[in-house]
Amino acid sequence: MTSFKDKIVVITGGNSGIGYTTAASFLEKGAKVLITGRNPGAVQQAVYALGHPAEGFKADQSDLKEVRRLADYIQGRFGTIDSLFINAGFAAVGPADALTEEEYDKIMNTNFKGAFFTIQYILPYIKDGGSITILSALNANAGMPGTSALSASKAALNSLARTLARELAGRRIRVNVVNPGVIETPLLDKAGLTEEARRFIADKTPVGRLGKPADVANLVTFLASENAGFITGAEYNVDGGLFVHPLIAS
Amino acid sequence: MLSLENKIAVVTGGNSGIGYATAKDFIEQGANVIITGRNEAAINNAAATLGPQAEAFTADQSILADTKKLTAFIHERYKQIDILFVNAGITGKIGPFSEVTEENFDEVMNINTKGAFFTIQQFLPLIKDGGTIILLSSVNALSGMPGAIVYNASKAALNAFGRTLSRELVSRRIRVNTVNPGPVKTDILIKAGIPEEVVAGKDFAKSVPVGRSAEASEIAKLVTFLASDNAQFINGAEYNIDGGLFVHPLLG
Ligand SMILES: NC(=O)c1ccc[n+]([C@@H]2O[C@H](COP(=O)([O-])OP(=O)(O)OC[C@H]3O[C@@H](n4cnc5c(N)ncnc54)[C@H](OP(=O)(O)O)[C@@H]3O)[C@@H](O)[C@H]2O)c1
Ligand SMILES: NC(=O)c1ccc[n+]([C@@H]2O[C@H](COP(=O)([O-])OP(=O)(O)OC[C@H]3O[C@@H](n4cnc5c(N)ncnc54)[C@H](OP(=O)(O)O)[C@@H]3O)[C@@H](O)[C@H]2O)c1
Repeated sequence: MTSFKDKIVVITGGNSGIGYTTAASFLEKGAKVLITGRNPGAVQQAVYALGHPAEGFKADQSDLKEVRRLADYIQGRFGTIDSLFINAGFAAVGPADALTEEEYDKIMNTNFKGAFFTIQYILPYIKDGGSITILSALNANAGMPGTSALSASKAALNSLARTLARELAGRRIRVNVVNPGVIETPLLDKAGLTEEARRFIADKTPVGRLGKPADVANLVTFLASENAGFITGAEYNVDGGLFVHPLIAS
Repeated sequence: MLSLENKIAVVTGGNSGIGYATAKDFIEQGANVIITGRNEAAINNAAATLGPQAEAFTADQSILADTKKLTAFIHERYKQIDILFVNAGITGKIGPFSEVTEENFDEVMNINTKGAFFTIQQFLPLIKDGGTIILLSSVNALSGMPGAIVYNASKAALNAFGRTLSRELVSRRIRVNTVNPGPVKTDILIKAGIPEEVVAGKDFAKSVPVGRSAEASEIAKLVTFLASDNAQFINGAEYNIDGGLFVHPLLG
């Protein structure tokens, strides 16, 4: 089994869902983990539940001043880190013609602009030979109605990862993207997904169920491990087969 | 805990390179492995080096009758398997489109594509429900590398098999995934008849962002991950493992 002994991992949006489970998985494998979130109470609670040596820092990914403070804090607290997992994301759905500028900005500022500058500000503190993993979504490569801005924000992330994979190769920093299918997290509750909708999604997914946060965490910890030393600039779907286009099969 | 404890795996083309390294990794993770190959001495040697959890069976992936014998043997000996890793492959002769002979064409397509297809078809009844198939393709499947036109197409077809099977086999909960490596340090090009000094002189590593070719053992780690229960929600996926090579630099 891969060990993350003495490794330091930073996870944005780590107080819930995929970020939280991935933090738990890194901790179990021996890493030190710093999670961020925008709600200090929720972050603190998660740190407590994760146990030692988890730490938290309040930082809203869409607020560059807070991202700057996060980077400064990382420098002061750890000096350098091994892995950065950009996970925080915001989802809002609705037809493009009704999307307001405020909604658009919130999606883009959290998912893309915030991710971009989080990486830029923290980059000096990522060790040479370290890794960055970005959580995107299948939407990045799809055309799902009602997700125009969300999908575009994720497509921008995948593009960012490709470019960074080449730009950061000189420092041997690997950059990869994970595109999950539908995963059972509090995000689905926040989006008001009904039991019936979940059944519909499970039926549409070849593996026959929704994903679990651990399904994604397993892949993210693999990509951050030394077993993935030749993997960079890659986009890995973890979606139970949903993205394979069935064309006109039922 | 070992990730492939008590699993039975078949690796085609297991006497060298990626297949051999993956058989070794499967074994280290607790699996029993049957490796195949067309060269009896090479395959027996490899199994002996791999130790008691390995077994050899001589079978040419391009000969359907060999595959029949292989599946009959495995059925008798193991009844069922958990993991099928379709790895055997060749590049064939490297050269321009206009110089490809029918013989060159058939050799590559019969091993990499037709052979893979019927290996899977004949193995299917032996794969446990909930088992998994992993296809070893190449970033060539997605590229337009000059001089490798048949190889590129033979691998593109393999990726299409992977996608379609990932949907066709759902009722049996068999996950099917494809791995696309970039350059890996194996003897595949030497076997294609390219002189050693030419292979050594072609600095593939220079075009790869990470600045080197992969060790076969690195590809093995990804295949082992996909074969394990840690990858239960991964199906119909195509994973590049190429040191960033496939990211197009355009004019960069
Ligand atoms: N669940 C799925 O089906 C699915 C599918 C594909 C992709 N994803 C992606 O997976 C990622 C994680 O989502 P999840 O499903 O695990 O949802 P989740 O349970 O809602 O977790 C999202 C996490 O990000 C945090 N966050 C949101 N906005 C933030 C901000 N501006 N600054 C800092 N932290 C912020 C959330 O904090 P709060 O608790 O304060 O909101 C929470 O900790 C997202 O990028 C999402 O787009 C999810
Ligand atoms: N090396 C790379 O850079 C690279 C990159 C991407 C993809 N790949 C793919 O990786 C796979 C493994 O190649 P490798 O690089 O590990 O090369 P390798 O060392 O030559 O291994 C290929 C294996 O397949 C066997 N094989 C070939 N034709 C066969 C047949 N008709 N029936 C049964 N076994 C057969 C070979 O046996 P013999 O010793 O008898 O030939 C050998 O055991 C191939 O599918 C290749 O296309 C390789």
